[in-house]
Amino acid sequence: MKSISLYEEKASFVHDVDPITKLWYIPFAILIPIILPSFTISFLFIGLSLVLLLGAKVIRKTIPVFGFVFLILITVVLIQGMFKPENETVLFQIGPLTMYKEGLLFALTITLRVINIICAFMILVLTTKPSDLVEALVRKGMSPRIGYVIVSVFQIIPEMMATMSTITDAQRARGMETEGKLLVRIKAFIPLLGPVVLGSLINTKERAMALEVRGFNSQAPKTYLYEEKTYQFSKVLQIGMLLLTMAAVSWRIFL
Amino acid sequence: MKKQSMWSLRLSTAALVLIPVAVGVNYIGKLLAALLKLPLWLDSIGTVLAAMLGGPIVGALAGAINNIIYGFTDPISFVYAITSVAIGLVVGILFYKGFISSWGKVLVAGLIIGLVATVVSTPINIGFWGGTTGNVWGDALYTFVLAKTDSTWLASLLDEIVVDIPDKIVVVLVSYGIFKGLPQNVVQLYTNNQKIETLD
Repeated sequence: MKSISLYEEKASFVHDVDPITKLWYIPFAILIPIILPSFTISFLFIGLSLVLLLGAKVIRKTIPVFGFVFLILITVVLIQGMFKPENETVLFQIGPLTMYKEGLLFALTITLRVINIICAFMILVLTTKPSDLVEALVRKGMSPRIGYVIVSVFQIIPEMMATMSTITDAQRARGMETEGKLLVRIKAFIPLLGPVVLGSLINTKERAMALEVRGFNSQAPKTYLYEEKTYQFSKVLQIGMLLLTMAAVSWRIFL
Repeated sequence: MKKQSMWSLRLSTAALVLIPVAVGVNYIGKLLAALLKLPLWLDSIGTVLAAMLGGPIVGALAGAINNIIYGFTDPISFVYAITSVAIGLVVGILFYKGFISSWGKVLVAGLIIGLVATVVSTPINIGFWGGTTGNVWGDALYTFVLAKTDSTWLASLLDEIVVDIPDKIVVVLVSYGIFKGLPQNVVQLYTNNQKIETLD
């Protein structure tokens, strides 16, 4: 079964960092360019994230994500470059289309912000196994019941996708059309979705009973299947990021 | 037979198990919409069903967890978690108050949910993308309104409305249809009344 998570198992120094520190990196990398809004800072953080992604040997996995986002960003650049209300300075013309400086600068700000956020998230997502992240959060005090819910999503989705492909094949074998005019495609939606959803909802009853029989609601303290993996520099990195954020705030206020 | 308050935070095992299924249904809906090349997202059927069965709290939780998990394949989703939470809450409240009980009412409920989703999403769109949504029809309207009125807010609001309202109406109609098709013993799992029946 195909996993839906983008996690890639590799040996690298980024993979060794504990999930909580990588989680900290996200607000750190997003907040500082907001506190100190300059293109230099934004480029600096995107560069740092890209170096980390390169170091983790997962940079190729980011391409499909960026491909999808770039498509939206191109429309942002075109629309803002041509139609932003504050547009005054003409930069260049292509046929009947005029691009303005103000709109393009605004589009650049948006593009840098979006790429920065995606890079920061990608470091966590591509180098951390979802179950490791959930386990680390439960150790930090998150409810193990919610932890179970999150981990089980990663099991249920591939299961439901397998059911859906079975049902799609079955319905096609009965002569249902899934291609053609819009009305034909709309009519196909319910017979494909309905059985999967009904089946999964009916299964929840058995799943709930199976869990309760195994002491899911027990109040006794939970133990862990795996030993806690520790990373020696996590405290140093976390405090370092906090200090840098505070330095950025004071820089903004006092200078 | 007294119903438990809809805001009860004591989640039963059945309600918790419902959440991953809701996320899965959202995922399948989105996948099918893409497979059949439908012009809507249809990615909140699970959240709506979870809110109908489990109430606003379960709906909101399902919405939040849904977008957190989507975030593992597309980080932009994290930002829209607030919209999903709002959808879950509103559906839960509407259902509990009896606004989702016939096909006619469902249409109105879909309209309300679409409006709520629009109002929550628009500030995110403006802060994040400068107002566009990435949907071809919506963005064409955005460009048109922006060129005519110079108001980013109005353009962005209309951009979101034309996509969100039809989407949410269809989602609520489909969810209600599925809900009506559910066997009684599944629905009863979630009605949350603490009454125990005895045979003697």
